[in-house]
Amino acid sequence: MTWPDTTLARARDIIARYPEPRSAVMPLLYVAMRHDGRLTDEGMRQVAALTGMTAVQVESVASFYSMYKRHVGSHVVSVCTSISCHLLGGRDVLAAVSDATGVPAGETSADGSVTIESVECIGACGGAPAVQVDYELIEGVTPDKGAELCRWLMTAHPEVVHGDDLQTRFGGRRSFPAGPPDPVGAMGPYPAFGPLGTTGGEA
Amino acid sequence: MSDPIKLTVDGREVTAPGGQLLIKAAEEHGTYIPRFCWHPRMKPVGMCRMCLVEVEGPRGKVLVTSCTTPVAEGMVVHTKSDVVKKAQEGVLEFLLVNHPLDCPVCDKGGECPLQDQTLSHGPGESRFVEEKRHFEKPIAISELVMLDRERCILCARCTRFSDEISGDPLIEFIDRGNHTQINTFPDEPFASYFSGNTVQICPVGALTATPYRFRARPWDLEAVESTCPQCSVGCRVSVQASQNQVLRLIGVDVDATNQGWLCDKGRFAFEHLRAPARLSTPLVRGADGELHEAGWGEALDLIASRIGAVIAERGPAAVAGLGGARSTNEEAYAFGKLLRGVLGTGNLDASLGDDPGAALLAGVPHRATIDDLERAKTILVWGPDLKEELPVLHLRVRRAATALGADVVVVHPRATGLDRDAAHVVRYRPGEGAATLQRLAAGEGDLAAVRAALDTGPVVAIVGRTGLAESADLADAVAAFALTLADAKVMPVARRGNVLGAIDMGVHPHLLPGRVAASDAAARAALAAAWGCAVAVPGRDTSGILSGMADGSIAAVLLLGCDPVADHPDRKAAAAAFDKAPFLVSLDLFLNESNRTADVVLPVDTFTEVEGTMTNLEGRVQKSNRIVPGVGASRPVVEILEDLAARLGGSIGAGAAAIAKEIALVAPAYAAVSWEALDWGRGRDGIVVAEGPFTHTPERRATDPSVGALTLHLGRVLYDGGTMITAGPSLARLAPEPAAHLHPDDASRLGFAAGDRVTVTGNAGSAAMAVAIDPTLARGTVYLPFNLGASIGNGLEVKVEK
Repeated sequence: MTWPDTTLARARDIIARYPEPRSAVMPLLYVAMRHDGRLTDEGMRQVAALTGMTAVQVESVASFYSMYKRHVGSHVVSVCTSISCHLLGGRDVLAAVSDATGVPAGETSADGSVTIESVECIGACGGAPAVQVDYELIEGVTPDKGAELCRWLMTAHPEVVHGDDLQTRFGGRRSFPAGPPDPVGAMGPYPAFGPLGTTGGEA
Repeated sequence: MSDPIKLTVDGREVTAPGGQLLIKAAEEHGTYIPRFCWHPRMKPVGMCRMCLVEVEGPRGKVLVTSCTTPVAEGMVVHTKSDVVKKAQEGVLEFLLVNHPLDCPVCDKGGECPLQDQTLSHGPGESRFVEEKRHFEKPIAISELVMLDRERCILCARCTRFSDEISGDPLIEFIDRGNHTQINTFPDEPFASYFSGNTVQICPVGALTATPYRFRARPWDLEAVESTCPQCSVGCRVSVQASQNQVLRLIGVDVDATNQGWLCDKGRFAFEHLRAPARLSTPLVRGADGELHEAGWGEALDLIASRIGAVIAERGPAAVAGLGGARSTNEEAYAFGKLLRGVLGTGNLDASLGDDPGAALLAGVPHRATIDDLERAKTILVWGPDLKEELPVLHLRVRRAATALGADVVVVHPRATGLDRDAAHVVRYRPGEGAATLQRLAAGEGDLAAVRAALDTGPVVAIVGRTGLAESADLADAVAAFALTLADAKVMPVARRGNVLGAIDMGVHPHLLPGRVAASDAAARAALAAAWGCAVAVPGRDTSGILSGMADGSIAAVLLLGCDPVADHPDRKAAAAAFDKAPFLVSLDLFLNESNRTADVVLPVDTFTEVEGTMTNLEGRVQKSNRIVPGVGASRPVVEILEDLAARLGGSIGAGAAAIAKEIALVAPAYAAVSWEALDWGRGRDGIVVAEGPFTHTPERRATDPSVGALTLHLGRVLYDGGTMITAGPSLARLAPEPAAHLHPDDASRLGFAAGDRVTVTGNAGSAAMAVAIDPTLARGTVYLPFNLGASIGNGLEVKVEK
C-alpha cells in the first residue's frame, strides 16, 4: 500500500457504501487518479488490492471508460461536438480552444496545465454549445469565451473549478436557467460526487 | 433441472429437461447450432451472436441467442430458416471484419471453429474493403501462451475460463469499441497453472501454446485417448502425435474426472519424452567406475547373476524393490510378482513415505469419488494445497464451492489456492495439527462456526499430507474425525500418478494384488497356486528398506521409476542409504539422484509408449494407451522384467495384455476390469474398483511433538525439481527459486526483511536462500517448498539465521 492513510481511509469509506468491494472500482479509480494526478499502473494495482480484483480486471474497467486517463493535464476541457452543439458552433469552440492552448483535441498543453478533448453528448443540448472543465458544465459557450476560459486555466491555475462560477464567467444561455445551485466543485479531472466529493473535497 | 418439457425444433418434437439451454437441447437431439462463445462447461454470455435461432412468440418469430435461452414448454424453434441463415451470415461477416484470414500460417487451421463455421454457415464473400485493425502479433502473455490479437473474435471464452473455472483472472478485455482486445496487465503475465485450457478452448488461432506452435498440422496428427500420469487425479487426455513424436495433449471431457480441463503440468510435461537426456540404451557400470552403454543381454545377465549371488549368499530378504507409483498397473503387478514370486522377497514398496500411508490410501472405508463433490454440501480439505499437487481436483472443489454452493473448509498452515472461495479457513502451525484437530472436533472457541459447518452433509473430506514435515498419522486422525461426520466420505490423496494402483497391485510389504493382506497365509497360498511359485511373507517398507540399505542388511535393490534420494521426505537418510552402494538396478527414463550410483540402469518405455491401466485416487481404473515407440533401445517394463525373471528361473507373464487378464483373475477388487471394457463405451470413463477386501480403520492416534519457536512447513509446488519438469524446456523455467517464507511478525522479530539471505537449518542439514514474507502463513512457521534444490530434512524443528 503506497497510499497515505487519509487516502486509504477515503477509499475504505467508499467501499463501505457497496455490498461488494469490487462495486467500488469506479470511484476508487478517481481516487487513484487524484493521488497520482493521472491513471497509473501502481494506482490500478492499489485499487485491485482494495477491491479483491486482479490488476487486469481493474484495467479492463479503466480502459473502457474515457474519463480514466493515463495522460492528463491539471484540467480537462471537454468540448462537445455532438449534433446539437455541432449545429450551434461546437466545432468553432473546439478550434478556438485548440488555438488558445496550442494543442489539438486529445492532447495536453506543453506546460501540462490543460488537456483538450472533443466529446460526444454531455447532456446539455438545450444550452449548446457546451463545454466541461473537469466535468463541471458550462453552457452557451462562444469561441471567444472558450479561448478566454483556457487562458484563465493556464494562467490562474485554479485549485478548484466550480460549475456555477464558470457558467457566470464564461457561459451563456443555459438549458435550465432556474436549476438548483451546485455547491460542489472539482479539484482536477476527477468527478466529485456528493458533498465531500468522491476524491475527498475538503482540501 | 426440473421436469422434462416438449418443444419443437425444426418441425420435430423433442423432449428436454426444464431449464436446459436451447443450444444444448438442440444438440442432444442432433441439431447442431453454430457457436463460438458458448462452452458447455461455462456460463453462457451470448457474446458472439453466432447461435441465433428463430423462436415463435405471440408477436411472431424473433431471433434469440440459443445459448442464453432456456427451453420452454411448447416452444417452436427454427434453426435453419432463411432469417436464421441471413443472421448467421451477417454475424460471420462481422466477425471476419477484423480477422486477418492468415489461415495458411495459423496453427488452428484445419481444426478452427471460425474456419469451419465460415465454410458451413458463412456468406462466402465480405463487403468489408477497409483496412483491418492491426496489432503486434503475436505477443507472449506467459511463458507458455502466445496471443495474436488480430485473430481474436472477442468471444470471452478465455477470460471466462480464467475467472469462472480457474479463478485466476489475469487476462481481460482492455479498451473498447474497435480497439477492444484481450490482454494482461502490463507487468503481470498470464501465469496460471491452467493457462493451456484457454488455448484448447479458443475458437480461433488467437491463443497458441509455445510447445505446439508450428509443430504440426491437425490433419497430420494421430490421436489416442489415454490417462495423464502426472498426478493421481487421472485426467482423460487425447495424446496427439506426428512422425512418432508426441506433440500435444488435449483434455477430454469426462464427467467423472477432469471435465475437459487439464493443468499445464499435465498438458506440457510430455516434452520430457523426447528430452536429449532421456536414456536410450542400457548402462552398466564398468571396472572404471563409470556407466557405459551395454546391450540388453549383457545388462540383464549381469543383473541376474548378481542378484542370484545375493540370494544364494544372504537369502532373498537381502533383496528389495522400490517404485511402481509412476508405472502402469500391469508394470507394477509385474514388479511385485518378480519380487515376491520369482525373487522371493517381501521387501517392496511403491509409497515413498511422502503420502498419507498405504493403509489409508488403499483401505479407507467410505471412499469418496471425485464426482461426490458435485453433491457435497460441505467439503473439508485438510491436506496438500490441491492447486499445487492435484490441480484438476482443485478445479473440481472450486466448482463445488463457486457454482454448486458447497461450503469449503480449508485447514492448512498457509493460504492455499482454495482460500478465496472457502467458507472457512483454519490456519495452524505444523506440529500443532493434533491439537488443532482436537479443537476443531470439539468446536472450541473460534472453531465453533467451522465445526457447525461440518454438520451439514453430505460431507466430502479430502485428506492428505499438508506438508512433509508433519507425520502421516495426522492425515489418519483427520480421516478418523471426518468419518464421524454426518453422511461423510473420505478421499485420501497422494500425488504420484499411480500410487494407489501400485499398492493395489501388491507393491507394498503388507498387501498382495487386489488389496489382500499379505499376512494372510491362505491368501498367499492362493496366490502361490495362481503364480505357480511361492509367495514371500511380508517384509520391509520404504523406511525399512532404506535403513536396511544403510546397515548393510539389504544388498540388492531394484528401482522402478523411482528416485528416493529426491522424493523421500528425509532426503538425507535416503542419500545415506544409497551411498552404501548395494547392488543397484534402476529402470528409469533419466539418470537421477538415486540411480547415478546404480550398477545397471535400464531405459524403459513410458506414458504414450506402453499400453496399460492406471488407478487414480478414487480407485478409478482407466486405460493408458500407446501411440509412439520408445526412444532408442528402450523397452516396455513388463518385457524387461519377464526377461529378467526368465534368467532367474521364473516367469511373470508374457506382455502387458496377458498380465492385465491375470490381474483380473487374482486381484479380487479388479475382477471387473478388463482392457476391452475400458476401451469402449462407458468404460472409457474408467471403472471404479470395489472397496476392500483390505480395510483400514483410521485412528485418532496422532499426537503433537514438543517443538520450538519455529516449525517447518515442507509443502510441494506444482513446478518443482522433478525430472519430468526439468527435462522439458517449457516447464523447466517455471520452477520458482527456493525461499524461506516467514510471517511478517516472525520476520520482524528475527530482524529479517524480504530478500535477505539466510541459512535455514533443519534436522538434516542447512541451506542458504532468500527470505520471502508471507502474511498468510501461520505464525511460528517457516514454509520451504519441497524439491527445489534446497534440502534441510523433514524434521519439524527449524532455525533461520543470517
